[in-house]
Amino acid sequence: MSFLHIENINKAFGSDSIVKNLQLTLENNRTLSILGKSGCGKTTMLKIIAGLIKPDSGTIRLNNKTITEQPAAKRNIVYLYQEDLLFPHLTVFENIAFGLRIQKKSKDEIQDQVESMINSLELSGHKHKMPQQLSGGQRQRVSFGRAIITNPSLLLLDEPFGSLDSMTRQNMQSLFKSLAQQFHITSLFVTHDLKEALLMGDEIAYMDAGYLKVYKEKSDFMKDKSTGVLAEVEFWNGIASDLSSNFISS
Amino acid sequence: MVKVKNIALGIYIALIAFPFIYLLILSFSADWRFPELWPQYFGLRNWSRVISGETGLLSSFVLSLVISLSVATSATLTGFFISRYVNYHPKKRLWTLITYFPYVLAPVVFGACLSFYFIKVGLFGNTAGVILSQFIIAFPYALIFFSSYWGEQTREYENLVATLGGNPWTTYTKVLIPMAGPLMMICFFQTFLISWFEYGLTSIIGVGKVETLTIKVFLFIKEANFYYGAMSCCLLILPPALLIYFNKKYVFNKLI
Amino acid sequence: MRTKYQNIGLLFFAVLGIIPFALSFIYALLYSLGLVGVANSGFTIEHWQEILESGEFIKSFGFSAFMALIAMVFSVGIALWLTLLFHKKIQHKTISFLLYLPLALPGVVSAFFAVQILSKSGYFSRWFYQIGWIKDIQEFPDLINDDFGFGIILTFVSVVMPFFLLLFIGVFKTERIAELESLAASLGSRPNQIIRRITIPLLLHKTWPLIALYYIFLLGAYEIPLILGQESPQMLSVLIVRELKQFDLTKISEGYVVAVIYTVLVTIMTLFLFLRRKSIRIDG
Repeated sequence: MSFLHIENINKAFGSDSIVKNLQLTLENNRTLSILGKSGCGKTTMLKIIAGLIKPDSGTIRLNNKTITEQPAAKRNIVYLYQEDLLFPHLTVFENIAFGLRIQKKSKDEIQDQVESMINSLELSGHKHKMPQQLSGGQRQRVSFGRAIITNPSLLLLDEPFGSLDSMTRQNMQSLFKSLAQQFHITSLFVTHDLKEALLMGDEIAYMDAGYLKVYKEKSDFMKDKSTGVLAEVEFWNGIASDLSSNFISS
Repeated sequence: MVKVKNIALGIYIALIAFPFIYLLILSFSADWRFPELWPQYFGLRNWSRVISGETGLLSSFVLSLVISLSVATSATLTGFFISRYVNYHPKKRLWTLITYFPYVLAPVVFGACLSFYFIKVGLFGNTAGVILSQFIIAFPYALIFFSSYWGEQTREYENLVATLGGNPWTTYTKVLIPMAGPLMMICFFQTFLISWFEYGLTSIIGVGKVETLTIKVFLFIKEANFYYGAMSCCLLILPPALLIYFNKKYVFNKLI
Repeated sequence: MRTKYQNIGLLFFAVLGIIPFALSFIYALLYSLGLVGVANSGFTIEHWQEILESGEFIKSFGFSAFMALIAMVFSVGIALWLTLLFHKKIQHKTISFLLYLPLALPGVVSAFFAVQILSKSGYFSRWFYQIGWIKDIQEFPDLINDDFGFGIILTFVSVVMPFFLLLFIGVFKTERIAELESLAASLGSRPNQIIRRITIPLLLHKTWPLIALYYIFLLGAYEIPLILGQESPQMLSVLIVRELKQFDLTKISEGYVVAVIYTVLVTIMTLFLFLRRKSIRIDG
């Protein structure tokens, strides 16, 4: 049995069917990126997995335990989205330490773990700052650190870099990659950015109108017309051939 | 044009300062008869009587403080917690609308119609009754005040704490209350002032037996003892003036 | 669990927020219909007829509505005018402190102060006497407890206007009206046009719910008209309390009639205000 196993999840709000017959499996220490436009049901899907929304039917198994009925606080799944939601009344250090303090870890342990997390996040020198003093990218890094340090079984990321500028976004993508490796993270990474989806996932899926389609191979994803990869490739190919013909003619 | 503006501003500020200075002078005065422009006596006599307790003003000041602090504390705390349930409820708009009715009604009329029940339960003409009646008008204010806090964003914070493994107790004590701290301070002082400035309701439910400072001002007007009246006014002005000095938000209430 | 807490929370809300209002209204209604009260002996609409025919209520209502209207027009008008003059000045710390200072004056103090300066033996009268404009104390005009409610209006304005000045200055800043003004100027508007077409409409659009709310507050104002008003006509709150405190027990029922009418009116106005408001929000 795989690490995360989801079967037949359905959710409707009134007559609006938002998530339809969701099937999903994911192995440990892997990242599944999910491409989807806004309104395709991806946020609802993640919130159901996190335990913040109750599904109408279906089961979720994590690490060989059925967690469908468990409250969010017991699931050990962290849900992050665009807004970093740093606690405005706590410093960077205390924000990151928050989950550990809930777990009642010892003082020294907290000190060590948070310090090393701050280093991994390349935030040393900022630990006594308040969230308002940080840039958007720095805030998002703190938010990641606060989640990862609690050692969650599963990390759910909902357009986490959506509000960052493209430079910061690139930095964050590679930082997340290395964090995922360092801390053995299992995650679902939702984005509407094609390139980001390809870059971040070990596996890839496409969500549209409540249906999630997981591809066995990345190449299948690329060949599928609905994902838009082919159109993108054609566009760049066109530009490349223009460039080269111009280059030759000049 | 710049000059005109400066003159206008100067005049406005003089008009603002006028009542404060006049009341202060009046509180130090005695024997100030028509048509004199300056009192016969100007000195510490009135105020020394306040200190010695003769005028009853000192005890009124303390009584007003006790009443207003009780009202502010209870209204802010209950308003904060109950506002959450009101604003997370699907029928939130309806509840908020209902909250507005007691808020806009003249407190004195509200009190007059409620006095029957206060008599029935023995809360008529005593301090506890005055506190309860003022709480009844300060509470809707606090409810409306906190409605902006319990929005989507706060809910996301609650979710986040839950996914990080926090129980409701940690959510409140470590996140919701500390985050709302500055807002709670503002609500506290504004409900404090609602109580501190209140006259009509207090006169009805307190039946003149609970002599807060506003009641005192009125009594001194009736006795035509304007010097003592001015002293009561000065005592009434002091706390809000201090609050403005520390933080204008404590006093500037633009709630709707 | 969650729904249980939710229900307890709403129960508290009902007990503290709704029930007192409902109880007071029901009591007033029953009393006005003769169903409760010492002097009453069963259902009657006599008190309602009495009030609606006597003219005292209509007079009081008209007077209150008029006083509140005049006071609001002057308050908002003067505040707008001062905003246009001052909005750049209040950065200065001391000036800003002084502009907020009027908020420290409760109604009862403002009314007391009005008595001190406006009465026949008041401070203004003394100056008039000293300058020689009046020869006798009786020559000074009635400015308080007068027929036209002059003292009431002046005190209302002194309480309400400073608040709206601060409000308008705040909106001026948060809505970036200065930027909009320079934009309009760059599009070729003349200063007068800018003020009439941009500045004032924007300020009023953002603040009208509060203007309406303050009108409702003034309608029910108590201590200021109590101190500065006269025997008749009286403002609504003063009239209601006077009737309820009468020794003539039949009058009490009539007081409750007025209280019921006033409550219904205010409730309807609030309803109207609330439903019209929709998305407008003034943030602190």
